[in-house]
Amino acid sequence: MTVQIKPILSALRRHKAGTFLIAMQIALTLAIVCNALFIIQQRLAHLSEPTGLDEPNIFVVQNEWVGQATAEQVDAKMREDISVLRALPGVQDATPSNSYPLRGGGWDDGIKLKPEQLQDTSGAAIYFGDDHFIDTLGIKLVAGRNFRSEEITSMNVRDRLSPPVVIVTKALANKLFPSGDAVGKTIYLVGGPTTIIGVVELLQSQSVDRWAAGFAYRSVIVPKRLAISLGGWYIVRARPGQLDAAMRAAPKALFEHNPRRVINDEDGILSFSQVRSRAYERDRGMAILMGVICVVLLAITAAGIVGLTSFWVGQRRKQIGVRRALGATRQDILHYFMTENFLISCGGVVVGTLLAVAINLWLVTRFEMHRLSLVYVLAGVVILLLLGQGAVLAPAMRASRVPPVEATRSV
Amino acid sequence: MLKMTHLSKVYRTEVVETYALRDFNINVNEGEFVAVTGPSGSGKTTFLTIAGLLETFTGGQYHLDGVEVSNLNDNERSKIRNEKIGFIFQAFNLIPDLNVYDNVEVPLRYRGMKSPERKDRIMNALERVGLASRAKHYPAELSGGQQQRVAIARALAGSPRLLLADEPTGNLDTQMARGVMELLEEIHREGATIVMVTHDPELAARAQRNVHIIDGQVVDLAEDPRFHHAVHSARANSPA
Repeated sequence: MTVQIKPILSALRRHKAGTFLIAMQIALTLAIVCNALFIIQQRLAHLSEPTGLDEPNIFVVQNEWVGQATAEQVDAKMREDISVLRALPGVQDATPSNSYPLRGGGWDDGIKLKPEQLQDTSGAAIYFGDDHFIDTLGIKLVAGRNFRSEEITSMNVRDRLSPPVVIVTKALANKLFPSGDAVGKTIYLVGGPTTIIGVVELLQSQSVDRWAAGFAYRSVIVPKRLAISLGGWYIVRARPGQLDAAMRAAPKALFEHNPRRVINDEDGILSFSQVRSRAYERDRGMAILMGVICVVLLAITAAGIVGLTSFWVGQRRKQIGVRRALGATRQDILHYFMTENFLISCGGVVVGTLLAVAINLWLVTRFEMHRLSLVYVLAGVVILLLLGQGAVLAPAMRASRVPPVEATRSV
Repeated sequence: MLKMTHLSKVYRTEVVETYALRDFNINVNEGEFVAVTGPSGSGKTTFLTIAGLLETFTGGQYHLDGVEVSNLNDNERSKIRNEKIGFIFQAFNLIPDLNVYDNVEVPLRYRGMKSPERKDRIMNALERVGLASRAKHYPAELSGGQQQRVAIARALAGSPRLLLADEPTGNLDTQMARGVMELLEEIHREGATIVMVTHDPELAARAQRNVHIIDGQVVDLAEDPRFHHAVHSARANSPA
């Protein structure tokens, strides 16, 4: 087999238009594919971010009350509901809350270390929970203690948030007190000072959207039941293997106990896998869209290469015959077209790499995206070079089958 | 040098078999200049394509430089074409995308020759055909006669044992044809074996020996008196 880079480059200079168009198609495809792969990876990484919960065994109930009631009446009904749920045989524990991780919305607050501070030290997601909150969610207490039952109080939505004690996540504790001694320290919520009594390992915030990214794992658990006449959420942890049965039994038991409520058929009861799936619907959709764009672009580029090479093979049939007559083997001809494509692809990937970085810089400034890792550029380069070689193989093999006697045939 | 014995070439379709060559016998000695003549469709070009290993044959034997070629595989045939045979085609068959230098270089690259040796051979061959100054020109920038000289340089650069020429002056005007023919004669005088297919009695007369083909077989020139007469007249009028 003979390497013929110089004459191939000479020949390509005589076919500038086709060469330029294919190289630019490869460049554009590389630039888009690199960035698309990067976005896909980021979305997929986002999809698998942990909440800290015992997700396989958790479901949530959205309960809406019918009719008006005072905060005290609502709180009483909530406590009765929680007792009903905890009494179910398939249920390990249950807790009322204002929200749960990945719900999409909830309560967040600014945390200060000193009352006179103008700027918050950190943002944080605020979870209302009782002394069963930690056990129900399956999160791990890594320092301090849990709430005591006597510390749990009811709170109206119009009340100031000023619990005497709170439990915070390790991420928030590390942010507020980098030396690791958060337990016993005082912090300031919007309603006033409070003392950290415990630290949990991990508890994701309610939203995975960009606005909550700054405090994704900085959460505060307050010892409160939020009594709203419209209703609220119950978080339930089923015993292992009994999730489905517990999800069927829960609404039945709640309605039997008090039928004056609404639990929506569609999303009134959701397993946590459904919660996760809904939370990341947009990310998944974006990843799929980017994947489809990549496949379509790669297919178009491959088709372009096949088309152009097939055209060139047809156009150079006599020339191939002459080369065969002058001593080229079939492998030489195959190698010629593969090398020709490789050289065009190399030109394309060089331009494409620059274009990929430029597009990424534009996305970074416009959409606060992360800087493109060179790994994705390299992956894109390899994909495009392999695609080119794969696409050119069939027409190149067709070229290699042109017989030497073609040289003697008149066109 | 070239010996075909009872050679046949049959083109088969579903309904008909056509003999392009039938019981074809020829022996060309080393250093000979043989003109192969015959009417259109007689099998001249088929003979040349088989002689140049561009095509396989159906039956018989073909020895080229002492090697029986019928059992060679495609790569072995390519190697022999590259190393032992130089082709000169009627339509020149230069590669239009390559300049003169690169065109002459094509067979040398397939031989795997190193760059300095390639360069020496190319420049020597181009000087021999008087086109060293046109090395960077593309075929489209040359006249027909110059293109054929480049094709001859390409054939000579590899120092082949056998030169096969298929109507080498067929696409040239009289003056250019004369120049090309003189070049072939000069190459022959330097010891090359040349087999030239032509239908032109005047060119055939300038070869050492004529082989006449009719209906795929070598025949005695006497069997085609008109051609015999034309060749005889051409020889008589030839200055040398």
